[in-house]
Parts: sequence; structure tokens; C-alpha cells
Amino acid sequence: MNLSFPKFKWAIVMAIGFSLVVSGCSNGDKNAPANTASTNEAPASTPTEGGELTFALAGSPSTLDVGVTSSDIDFRVGRNIFDSLVGELPDHTIKPWLAESWEISADKKSYTFKLRTDVTFHDGTPFNAEAVKVNFDRSADPNGKSVYAKQLLGPYESSEVIDESTLKVNFKEPFTPFLSNLAKSTLGIQSPESFKKYGDQVGQHPVGTGPFKLASWVANSEIVLEKNSDYKWPSPAAEHSGPAYLDKIVLKLIPEESTRVSSLQSGQVLAAESIPAQNIVALEKDPNYQIQKALLPGATFQLTFNNEKAPWNNVKLRQAVQSTVDIDAIVKSLYLGTFPRSWSPLSSSTLGYDSSLEDSYKVDIQHANQLLDEEGWKLGADGIREKDGKPLEINYIDITGNREKRGDIIKMVQQQVKQIGVKMNVSIMAAGPYVDALKAASYDLVGHSFAGGDPDILRTIFSKANWSTNEYANSNFARFYDPQIEQQLTDAYQEADPEKRIATYKELQQYFVKNAVSIPVYVFPYTIAESKKVSGITFDFPGYPQFYDVAVSK
Amino acid sequence: MNAKRSLFSRAMITVSVLMIACLVLFALVPGWIAPYSPTEMNGAAILQAPGGSHLLGTDYFGRDILTLVIYGSRDALIIGISAVLLGGGIGALIGAIAGYSGGFIDAVLMRLIDTLMTIPGILLALTVSAVLGPSKFNLIIAVSISIIPSFARVLRGQVLTIKNRTFIEAARSIGTSHLRILFSHIAPHAFSSLLVMGTIGVGSAILMGSGLSFLGLGSSEEIPDWGSLLSEGRSYISMAWWIATFPGLAITLLVVSINFLGDELQSAIGPRKG
Repeated sequence: MNLSFPKFKWAIVMAIGFSLVVSGCSNGDKNAPANTASTNEAPASTPTEGGELTFALAGSPSTLDVGVTSSDIDFRVGRNIFDSLVGELPDHTIKPWLAESWEISADKKSYTFKLRTDVTFHDGTPFNAEAVKVNFDRSADPNGKSVYAKQLLGPYESSEVIDESTLKVNFKEPFTPFLSNLAKSTLGIQSPESFKKYGDQVGQHPVGTGPFKLASWVANSEIVLEKNSDYKWPSPAAEHSGPAYLDKIVLKLIPEESTRVSSLQSGQVLAAESIPAQNIVALEKDPNYQIQKALLPGATFQLTFNNEKAPWNNVKLRQAVQSTVDIDAIVKSLYLGTFPRSWSPLSSSTLGYDSSLEDSYKVDIQHANQLLDEEGWKLGADGIREKDGKPLEINYIDITGNREKRGDIIKMVQQQVKQIGVKMNVSIMAAGPYVDALKAASYDLVGHSFAGGDPDILRTIFSKANWSTNEYANSNFARFYDPQIEQQLTDAYQEADPEKRIATYKELQQYFVKNAVSIPVYVFPYTIAESKKVSGITFDFPGYPQFYDVAVSK
Repeated sequence: MNAKRSLFSRAMITVSVLMIACLVLFALVPGWIAPYSPTEMNGAAILQAPGGSHLLGTDYFGRDILTLVIYGSRDALIIGISAVLLGGGIGALIGAIAGYSGGFIDAVLMRLIDTLMTIPGILLALTVSAVLGPSKFNLIIAVSISIIPSFARVLRGQVLTIKNRTFIEAARSIGTSHLRILFSHIAPHAFSSLLVMGTIGVGSAILMGSGLSFLGLGSSEEIPDWGSLLSEGRSYISMAWWIATFPGLAITLLVVSINFLGDELQSAIGPRKG
């Protein structure tokens, strides 16, 4: 036996590797014709009725109980199963949906809804005032499991059933964001029967009034929705009436982004969500695909200073960093022009967004250096500024995973702040230690975004009430508190006059940018890439896809 | 046929040695060789194809890939060598003690090693890395732990065969201490197999280190290692193939060279020869 074993091993490994590569390539091609064949059931006419849509989801929903969860992907799927009382259009006007009309009391604390009387849940039970009350009471229950729905209901007090189709919702104090919040799938109405029947398992057996109902769900693999044939109460944004065009939607759960894109390109799915920047650029050039984007409302991705901790509690120092970080270069390098730059802590699709902040400050290294000199931070021998023997450092913390290239952003910022003699230490941690560090406020800088709808999201990220106490309430990572600003944040959510309200939010945005409380980076576009055979995917206001108007042509 | 084979292996040895020497040189003095600074992000030259002023192209930050590959060799070698020294050292020590003492100590130590062995190396390293958090030091610890069992097993076997030879018995009979027997008499005989294992171990440690780094469990320092470069370039493969390809090639060439050398070393001095 002179032939040594390791060489044999090498040959075998290489042979296996090669065959894997070959089979990997041919797999997609084999599947492509089979899959497209199954979708051309109806002759080509616009819009085509029937057929199915295969759609690659970027994650795996854990529950479809929208009243309890806080996860975006659950709300996206839930949007097509549950309807809301009202709908919000992109211009922020609120339109009737399951509620035909509503009245707001003189003290702004009560809303009286007149509901549609012809609506039934997927299980055949009627939709009525009692059903809505059950949903709101469940989500607002202080001992309940609800996370996001509870927040959206704000100072909710009670619901009163006036009659079968009239419901009065009472709040402890005026709460203007309510109607906008009501439009989200988070406050979509679930069948009270389903709560009784399935108990804790209702998230696996969602029953709504929506255009689609759950047909099957294989965990971590796929969710199949089928048409609700009785549907005749579409959202105000819908383009047709009656039941949905599609017979069936197959949601394939594909968390890995490049796999998602290749399953679209190989024809295994007709549409895919959350497409990375570099693939958007390529797909836009491809005549077989189209890209749809919705700029998500809420708080944009921003680098937020710990405003409480020295030395970054000094506004001059924060402004120096603000004048140094070249956001344009970051957005261009990492997102290739597919993500817009953000200028305000609020996203540009949010009510009250202050567009006058755009181009209101620019990169100015000289100014930054001057500010730091004035504050007594002198350049040391190693190129890092120091004062009283302490180096000028920014300790940045983030969670592992480089989501949306956030880890790459910080690599660029790290190089940029070197120019003004600031040393940036980056700690990337697992979820547990990260949450602990957030609670302990041991960082100088942290990156975060908050999807939302109403500009009241500013309270989420800058109100004293959201200083770290527990995992869910901890969202004021800026550790920001100013009594006057706190008052304005409160006034703004209670203000009923839209113009006054918007004016206050603009003032607030100006304040946060001028004082460099955080540095806004990008507005996240939710993207869908789809085959040109697919038409009619629309977005509701917070930017969740709606499949009601979708048709698949041959 | 034999002559042909040896000619081929000689050529391969030369290539491997050159390859390794080259990368060691890169690791020692990257600043002398690399055309750019590894942290320089040139916004005007992002995602440039190989050729021109950037021989291997640029990544999406506008960093020069050649420069990054040159600087990355340092991390690769540091991780590979320190993991083998640490993990291999501990493993060898455990193996030697177990083999030499025999009986109860041997049973306990080897059952521990067996337990460790039931978990595949990469899985073990992955777990350790995930628990400790991503950093270069933790990565070395993780890789080290995963290679302890194989060193322990081999060393124990070596010691078992050596310790019953007559010259050890002779040493024992004149009252030489156990430590002295272990280190002066047994260790030199086990050295050749340790050397072979160590060489091949460096290759697999580099591979494992890069793998963990690829999965985001490596260091998040300013200069990326090969594994994180590979992971950075992965999602750009259809648009800018060069980001992932060249670091991947560097890993492959280095590991194949080391493994080849290890194999040759084994056939030259290894105990299983003939």
C-alpha cells in the first residue's frame, strides 16, 4: 500500500465538490419550465383571473397573530388575511374600509365607528362591533402578550358596543395617531371565534375577513393562501371590487438573500421581496423583471449618540462628527443609489417629514476640527485627539449579521472620523449581550431604525418614557431628555389640528438634527422584484404588499 | 513510474514551499508589498474590475483587493499557527499524560476527549465562537479547542507504543523521574508525528478560521481577514466576482500547499511509512 490515503481523499472531495457545482447549476434550469407551466391556467387578458403567485419571503413568520407579534414579516403576510377598520393612502388621508364612517368626540377622546354590516370572517361568523371590541380589548390588555398592537392603541381605555354595527372607542387622553395606527395590519380584525377555538395556537390558525385565507403552513418552508370567494369589501386603495383575481398564493420562505434572488431568476418564484442593492441594479437592467419600491415610514436608520454619556453629551463634539461623516459616499458605495439618503430622523414617507432639512448641512472637516479644538481636544502623537489624558473615542455597538449592510456603514464611518482624530471602537455582539449593553447604556453610538407610520415614532426614540427599563420599552437609545422637547412630543400626539401638529413635528426634527442627537443615514426601501408576468402588487401605507389586485398573465 | 512520481512531488514541493514562503513574507511585511493602504476607501473607484491600477480589482468600499489579500495573510497565519500551538499543545499534553499514566487517569482523560470528539470540529468551534462572541482571540480559542481531541488521541497512541520499549524500562529501572522520562525519552520519539500533524493542522485551522470568519464570527477589525472578505464578496458574486474569488483562491492555495507539504512530510518521516 504505497498509495497514500490522503491523496485518494483529495480526489474524492474534489469529485464531490465538482458534481455539487454542476448539479447546483442545472437544478434551477430544470425547475423553471415546470413552474411557469403551472401558472398559465387562464388565457392572456388583462387582468387574468385565477392562477397562482409564488412569492419568496425574506424570513419565516413565527405567528400570524398580528395582535400579539411585533415582527414585520408577520404583519406583511397578515395584511392579506386581515382587514382594518380604515385605510391610509400615501398622501396620509384616512379612508373607510371595514368602518363606513366615524366621528370624533369634542374632547378628542372618543371615536364612534359605524361598521359595515355585510362582512363575514373566513369561518362564517359575522363581523360586528363586538368582534372589534374583543380584538382591541385583547391587544390593550396590560397582562396580555401583545407587543406592537398595545403600543399602537396608546392610551386606550375601553370599547363600548352601542349596537351591532356601532362601536365607541374611548381613550384616557387625546390620541391623534389612532386612525393612522388603525390602518395598519397590526390592528387588523381577527375572528373572536378563532381566539376561543384555538387559544394560544391562534397564530398558527389565523381567521380574518381579508381577501385571502390560510390554506396550509409548513413551518420554515411555505405558507399557502387561497382566495376568499365571498370577499366584497376591498381596501380603499384597491383597484377592483369583488374577490381577488388570484386563486392561490404560495409564499416560499427563503431567508438567504442570494438564494431568494436566484430562485426568482430561475423561475422557481414569480416575485421576491427584500432584494439587496447590487441585485436591484442588475434586475433593473433585465427586461424580464420589474422592481417595486416602497419607502418605509417611521424612524430612518440613524447613528444615535448616547446623549447622556461624556464626552458625547457635548453637542459641539456631536456636531463635529455630523460634519465629518460623508453620508453621500456611504449611500453611494453600499447601496449603489438604490437607498435614498436620509436627512431627518423621520423617513421621507412619514407625515410631517421636514424636507427643508435636505442639504441643510454638509461635510466640512475644517469646521469639525475647529469645533474639537475649541472644546480642548488636542491631537496626540498617534493622530487621536485627547483631553486630560483621555483619548477621544466612540464605542459603537451592533448586533451580528450586517443587516442591510449596517456593519459596512460603520466600517466607512470608522475611517472617516479618523480624519478628525476620533478613534472608533466597533463591538459586534450576539443578541443577548447587545440588549444588555443597550440597557446598561455603556455605548457612545448605536445604529437603529424603527418602522412606524405616524410621526409619533419620535416619542418612541426620544421620549424619557422609553429610557431603558425593560426590553420592550427600551427604545430611547439616545438617552435623550429635555423637558421642553418632552412637552412638545406630548403636545404633538394630542394635537388634533393636522397643520399645527405637522408644524410641531417639523420643529422637533429641526431640533434633533441641529443638535446632532443622531445622524440619519438612509431611508429603507422595501423592495419587490417580480417577473413581468405579474401585475398589480400594491403597498398599503406602512409599505406592506397587498396581493388583492394581483394578476399573473401567461 | 516511481521516478516520475518523485519528480512530480518534487516539483509540487517546490511550488508549495514557494507559495507558503510568499504568504509568510506577505504576513511579515505587508506594507512593503501591498500597493495601497488596506483601510483606504476610494469612493471614486468602487467595484472596479481587475486590471489597470487595481490588479485584482476593488470591493464595494473602493478598497484594493490585492492589498486586502496581502494583509489578510497575516490573520490567516496567526490563526492557523496559534491555534495549532495552543490546541495541539494542550491536546498533546493530555494525550501524553493519558498514555503514560494509563489506568484511571487515562480512562478519565480519554473519555473526556471522546466526548469532545463526538461533536464535529467545525460545530464545536462554531458553538465556542458563538458563545464567546466574535473576536480574533476568541476565534483562535474556538479553533484550538476543536483540534485538541485529534492531537490527544495520536499522542496517546504514540506514547503507548513507546513506553513499553526496553529503553524506557531501563530508564525507569535506574530511577529516572516520570517527568524526565516523558520529556527526555518519550517526547523526542513522538516529535515526528507531532510535526506532521501540526503541519496539516495549520492548514485545517486556517480553513476553519476562515469558515468561522465567513459566518461572521471572526474579528471585526479594520483590516478584514480572508474569510470575511469572502463573505463580503459572496452577495456580489454575479456583479463583481473578483471580491470573493481572490481571497478564496488565497485560502485554497495556502491550505493545499500546507496539506501537500504535510503529506510529503508524512511519507518522508511519518511513523506509518511502509
